[in-house]
Amino acid sequence: MKKKNLTQEIWKARYLYLCLLPLFVWLIIFQYGPMYGVILAFKKYNARLGILGSEWVGLSNFKRIFITPIAKQAIINTLQISVSRLIWEFPMGIVVAILLTEMPGKKGKKVVQTVLTFPHFLSWVVVASILRNFLATDGAINVLLDSLRIGKVNFLGNEALFRPLLYATANWKEMGWSAIIYMAAIAGIDPSLYEAAECDGASRLQRIWHITLPGIRTTIAIMFILAVGGIMSAGFDQIFNLNNAMVENTARILDIYVYDLTFRSVPDYGFTTAVGMFTAVINLVMLLGANQVVYRLTGEKMFR
Amino acid sequence: MRKIKIRRKRWDGVQIVSTVLLLFFTVIILIPFWNAVVISLETARAYSLHPFSFLPMEFTLDNYKEMFEKGDGLLLAYQGTLITTIFGTVAGMTISVLAAFAFSRQFPGKKLFFRVMLFTMFFGGGLVPTYLLYRNLGLLNTYAGVIIVSLVSVYNIIIMKNGFEGTPMELQEAAMIDGANDLVIFGRVMLPLQKPIIATFTLFSMVGYWNNWYWPMLMLTKGNKNVLQLFLRGVVNGTILNNTSGTSMAAEQQQFPQGIKMASVFMVMLPIMLVYPFLQKYFTKGILLGAVKA
Repeated sequence: MKKKNLTQEIWKARYLYLCLLPLFVWLIIFQYGPMYGVILAFKKYNARLGILGSEWVGLSNFKRIFITPIAKQAIINTLQISVSRLIWEFPMGIVVAILLTEMPGKKGKKVVQTVLTFPHFLSWVVVASILRNFLATDGAINVLLDSLRIGKVNFLGNEALFRPLLYATANWKEMGWSAIIYMAAIAGIDPSLYEAAECDGASRLQRIWHITLPGIRTTIAIMFILAVGGIMSAGFDQIFNLNNAMVENTARILDIYVYDLTFRSVPDYGFTTAVGMFTAVINLVMLLGANQVVYRLTGEKMFR
Repeated sequence: MRKIKIRRKRWDGVQIVSTVLLLFFTVIILIPFWNAVVISLETARAYSLHPFSFLPMEFTLDNYKEMFEKGDGLLLAYQGTLITTIFGTVAGMTISVLAAFAFSRQFPGKKLFFRVMLFTMFFGGGLVPTYLLYRNLGLLNTYAGVIIVSLVSVYNIIIMKNGFEGTPMELQEAAMIDGANDLVIFGRVMLPLQKPIIATFTLFSMVGYWNNWYWPMLMLTKGNKNVLQLFLRGVVNGTILNNTSGTSMAAEQQQFPQGIKMASVFMVMLPIMLVYPFLQKYFTKGILLGAVKA
């Protein structure tokens, strides 16, 4: 009896399955299809034998990650850059959101917000082209510095300046965009709180400190946890497009390293896949951990 | 001091500081763009004298002319970007919207299907196996490959599904009582009601394909197919349009690589610049749709 009901239910939902069909065809061929390839991480790839035919080598590819100096350096670089981004980039969206809320005048605010969010919709290829022109040794900034008798600075080819430059340019591109989510949170704060504070004679700064910031506390926490969840991704697009021979050692994060291993040198697909898998697993663990923390915090899960 | 206070009536310190800081940010963002546009309209001679001028010292369209004349590359790249953007968005959105609709309703096995989809968000085959798959399927050096590899975003499907779940159930039930099947409900109830969400993600998809460069870079290696972002990378890195084997006329006029680079930058971002101010509402909506409720 129950079985018949299920068949009936399935038949009733036949059009819904039809709606899912194209997605699952794509998922199975192009997402699940390459997944068997992760066994490469446990093999020594031989082009003649293919992925399945290549020889098993156990965990030796993973062991190699920790004895290859350049791979170890890439792990350290990734973590250093990610953590620095949390310090230099993460607060920027909050700052901009608060500034925008405090700025008087609707029209001016709108113009400012339009300009600030615009670069988000350009690729790092475009943004890097513009910034490389602007920061070049014969570019606008250096002409200015030169005329002020400060002297020219090779912004892009200087190992010490490269990482600060990453954080500055990422803020340049993304600060307006990351402010949007906080602005929405601020808009959701009960206005009567501000009115009451005003009656009590609270200054604007006090209102920001005691009402605005606590009011968007949860949003900040969630965004922070999400950022921590992506700690192994230190910004491939940006670094790849700003990278050059003079800074490659300080710029080599894991994603760049995997790319170089795969497409620039004699490919050792087994090792490359192992490095990729190492990154992916840590990211997965971090993200699931982040999800749990958000759940504890808000009672809502981002992923079920 | 007092005068200023009177003129600015109720502006207190915080408001002044916010306004000044935000105007500073705005200017900092605008200057590199402005500088790029000015250089693209400048001659090499004027640039060498005044690299940083507010307006072109010697106005010229030569850089744009040269880019169009010398590089059939630009037209090819426009063609590639248009093909992948249009077909990729239409196909990707069709698949995503249908799936989001299905997941916004109840059916046997929904949880399983959802998990099978969700899993791909966290785990994938990685760069090498994915690349090898596309190679084995003969999708390298095809626009189809470029389209397929970024066809669907599971994350966006989930956000759309959440939005679709907000469709009043009464409307769907009323349609069902009228004997409408799920496809009819999709076309008559869901699509018209959820136009804003769908518009937002269509826009995101278009921008995504427009800005696409990573997989095209890995896939389109033969030179007979290209997309704009790759073209720009080539120009800026000096691998395209930098050969001095042009006409003797152009050689006499003294080539201006920096001008050509910035002209390319401008041509690649122009469509987004034109569209963005008018559709800003939809652009910003995207992030809020996905926002975790606070």
